Amino acid sequence: MDLFLGIDVGSVSTNLVLIDYEGELYLRPLYLRTQGQPITAVQQGLVLLKEQLTSEDRIRGVGTTGSARSLAGVLVGADIVKNEITSHAVAALHKVPGVRTVLEIGGQDSKIIVLRDGIVVDFAMNTVCAAGTGSFLDQQANRLNLSIENFGEVALQAENPVRIAGRCTVFAESDMIHKQQMGHSLSDIVAGLCDALVRNYLNNIGKGKEINPPVVFQGGVAANAGMRTAFEKALETEIIIPQHFDVMGAYGAAMLARDQTSEQGRETRFRGFKVSSQDFQNCSFICQKCPNACEVIEIKQGKELLARWGDRCGRWSVTETEAGCVPV
Amino acid sequence: MKIGIPRALLYYYYYPLWREFFTQLGLEVVLSPTTNKGILDAGIKNTLSEVCLPVKVFYGHVSALADKVDYLFVPRINRVEPKAYICPKFMGLPDMLKARLQQMPPFIDTAVDAGMDGNPVQCWVDCFQEVGSKFTHNHQLVNSSIAAAFRTQQEFQRRLTGGMLIPDALENDCVPEVAATSQQNYTLRIGLLGHPYNLYDAYISMNLIHKLQSMGSFVVTPESLSVDEIEDEARKLPKRLFWTLGKRMIGSALNFYASKELDGLIYLTSFGCGPESLVEELVARWAKQQGNLPYLMITIDEHTGEAGMVTRLEAFTEMIKRRQKHENHLSSHGEPLHSG
Amino acid sequence: MKITYPHMGNLYIVVRALLTTLGLDVVLPPPTSRRTVELGVRYSPEFACFPFKLNLGNYLEARELGADTILMAGGVGPCRFGYYAEVQRQILSDLGSEMDMVVLEPPDVSYKELKEKIRHLVGDISWWKVIKAIRLAWYKARAIDAVEEKLLYLRPRVYEPYLLERYYHRALHEIDALSHRRAVQGAVRDFIKKVGSMPQRSGEFLRVGLVGEIFTILEPTANYDLEKRLGLLGVEVTRSIWLSIWINEHLFGGLLRVSNECRDDHHLAPPYLNSFVGGHGKETVGCTVGFAQRNYDGVIQVAPFTCMPEIVAHSVLPAVSKDYGIPVLTFYLDEQSGEAGIQTRLEAFVDLIAAHSHDQKGGMLSGSVFGN
Repeated sequence: MDLFLGIDVGSVSTNLVLIDYEGELYLRPLYLRTQGQPITAVQQGLVLLKEQLTSEDRIRGVGTTGSARSLAGVLVGADIVKNEITSHAVAALHKVPGVRTVLEIGGQDSKIIVLRDGIVVDFAMNTVCAAGTGSFLDQQANRLNLSIENFGEVALQAENPVRIAGRCTVFAESDMIHKQQMGHSLSDIVAGLCDALVRNYLNNIGKGKEINPPVVFQGGVAANAGMRTAFEKALETEIIIPQHFDVMGAYGAAMLARDQTSEQGRETRFRGFKVSSQDFQNCSFICQKCPNACEVIEIKQGKELLARWGDRCGRWSVTETEAGCVPV
Repeated sequence: MKIGIPRALLYYYYYPLWREFFTQLGLEVVLSPTTNKGILDAGIKNTLSEVCLPVKVFYGHVSALADKVDYLFVPRINRVEPKAYICPKFMGLPDMLKARLQQMPPFIDTAVDAGMDGNPVQCWVDCFQEVGSKFTHNHQLVNSSIAAAFRTQQEFQRRLTGGMLIPDALENDCVPEVAATSQQNYTLRIGLLGHPYNLYDAYISMNLIHKLQSMGSFVVTPESLSVDEIEDEARKLPKRLFWTLGKRMIGSALNFYASKELDGLIYLTSFGCGPESLVEELVARWAKQQGNLPYLMITIDEHTGEAGMVTRLEAFTEMIKRRQKHENHLSSHGEPLHSG
Repeated sequence: MKITYPHMGNLYIVVRALLTTLGLDVVLPPPTSRRTVELGVRYSPEFACFPFKLNLGNYLEARELGADTILMAGGVGPCRFGYYAEVQRQILSDLGSEMDMVVLEPPDVSYKELKEKIRHLVGDISWWKVIKAIRLAWYKARAIDAVEEKLLYLRPRVYEPYLLERYYHRALHEIDALSHRRAVQGAVRDFIKKVGSMPQRSGEFLRVGLVGEIFTILEPTANYDLEKRLGLLGVEVTRSIWLSIWINEHLFGGLLRVSNECRDDHHLAPPYLNSFVGGHGKETVGCTVGFAQRNYDGVIQVAPFTCMPEIVAHSVLPAVSKDYGIPVLTFYLDEQSGEAGIQTRLEAFVDLIAAHSHDQKGGMLSGSVFGN
């Protein structure tokens, strides 16, 4: 079968998705921890995918997205490298064709996308503060001795959610501790936390946005029933959580790869599954050529330089003769 | 006919003037309630995050009046004295409100501008004459209303220079939360700087004045100084400050420093206030030169928690008391306290 | 005496021409770098605006190179820029790094005052020499703008963007080094000829207008190379503010006729913004309307974090965006801004305006586009 691969390499997780021409999911999506090693995560993902493919299956296009989209794109030979806002919007549109609002909360960042007639007309994202994101919820669940899977269920049992103040993680956490010390019940605190995160989300990145239904909630945090309820309460509308809510970025990247290759009738640039066993080195160095002291990132496969970026002037991005990293 | 006045921003300096003018003109003045959770939330909802807290609060008060009045008084305040502004946000305020709030009663957004060579009285006279003509063709009524308004404002200012704090001086429409307790049994004399809409809005300042008083502090604010006293000191700056409130803060600080009567100085600023980011820096640096006058800067925004503020105030007053007890043993050049 | 001044994009070339022609010994701060940012941030008030911090970093680095005098502009408010020098002087003094600060204070900037300040710096000098210095500086400002206008046009078009950047930097270097008007203009002609013959893509390109606070627009370190990033994404950028236009308006009192696409745009600010609000707040709103009327695909506003005039402008831009159906993206930038976040927002914005321009019937229903 002809397949299209979408890879979303974020700071917390790396997701791989295969779809067919119709945009239907092929095999189960893969969900790996990035653990600060995007190259290894992508390689592992490819190994796991290949094991499940038959000799009939062909990869016809690859798209990458997420914060390490450029790196992943170079590594696998992507046909399209796309920012995560567009990727998420494309996936949401495929799952819920009339969608007008996408709420996305992932491991370390969150975004809102406003669509009208299938077109993105407005967006905002928050990467500065992790207060409303999955990492923070993980951390707080941990602190409260709850598994993150149970967290949402506990929130649903709340009778009087407490009000938790604070815009940043540190303050929210200290206020939460304060509320615990005052003797509020666990479920009220957990629900209060969900309310606070939703309030901060809507007051920060959701501010001034016309949030109209249908509203789709995706990203890892959408698994949390407490957050879904808090959004429903705050927005007074039904919140749709698509089936594969936690891999929507990769899904969108796969769709974009399909469009890119089939529209232009182009052969894919995919370097093949052999990528997973090849030896890549990525390293960075501080360029000393001027006081900008850019941090240049370099990707090599064996001795071959695949790409460099991070320099403001462009000298490293194009020069292949100069030695960049000193091999360790 | 009802005209709404938001209980925010320059309300704290000019309310008696405004109220008297409109009342004399025959309008019913409706004041928004004291700041509360709902008002703050409405303000936050309708403004950009980057906007400073007092302007957010102002939006909230405007929303609170929207369906209660026929007109809203939101003058465009450029300059209330020659060659000095409040800040850009005051100049753009009516436009900012219009762009963000829908279904509002008509705004009376006449400009107040003392220009380069006007004066602090004439700018209001000009404004009122224009405003008055929107409501009546009776020039005499407008003029007599203006005269009455200034008499009321003078009485208000007399109360201030007599030692009253703004909320007490506004007594007829007082803000009960911060109504001063008697300032007699105190052990410390603490100077308190800050824009009036931060200091005297008990909700957003979290009752700072009252808290200090209950900790045994006599609170001295810029309002206890006459305009001349403030101006005389502010004039000593190498370059004249072009912000009215900033000039007031600096002039007051220099007065406080010169009088050498303070045990400590607190500067209450709001997050995102442009002029304060520079003015406060100078005040803090000069505090250090005053034999390390104990100094505390408190920045408030919509996320400030009350517990944190109490902790800071307690630590600050405790530190001063302990420092005084051991005055002789303590180097006067110890580490200054700078807390944010 | 060794004189220095803060960086703002390529302004250093213009001021260097002025001061060296007057016979002054110029010590240029090293180009604004990460170290400059660190130094400036360390000694500046936390909530001072980004240009303040970068200025201070420039002074401290210039001082290390032996500078003892600072030339700086002042102002009459309400924008904070007008009071920078006073606070910076106090900070330098507290650091034990006192430097003589010569501040040009508008609206008193006139030839007379300029001459007095110059006399303070160089002693008696003939009028003729002053005029000659100003003329050379002016031609250099015009030359830089001519080069950059071409650069902005070509960035999305050329197949070898990095080669273009190299030609650009070489041209700047030449303009800086030359000391005669004809030679300066020759350098511009050479640049335009050379880059004009580079292989180019044809067709329609997305057009984005850049509005906002002048320092952030003109200083690539402050805007995180926004123009270049957009160029590489295939976008033709038009600035609302140019160095020579600013010099003409603020130092020459608009004496010279200089054509500029956005020159009269500030008249378009009402009804959205009806008052001067300091800085370039009114221009930001007016130029956004102007770009919309000239059928640009989008507008990007840049400003330092906590910039008062731009916050006022930003507050009313949703109304402009809605009325004209033009997407607007705002960036508040300072030392805390993350490059990855900026890049992602830009890419998403470019996708957005591309989709928008292909599907006019979709329209802008939601009003503005504000990436936080």
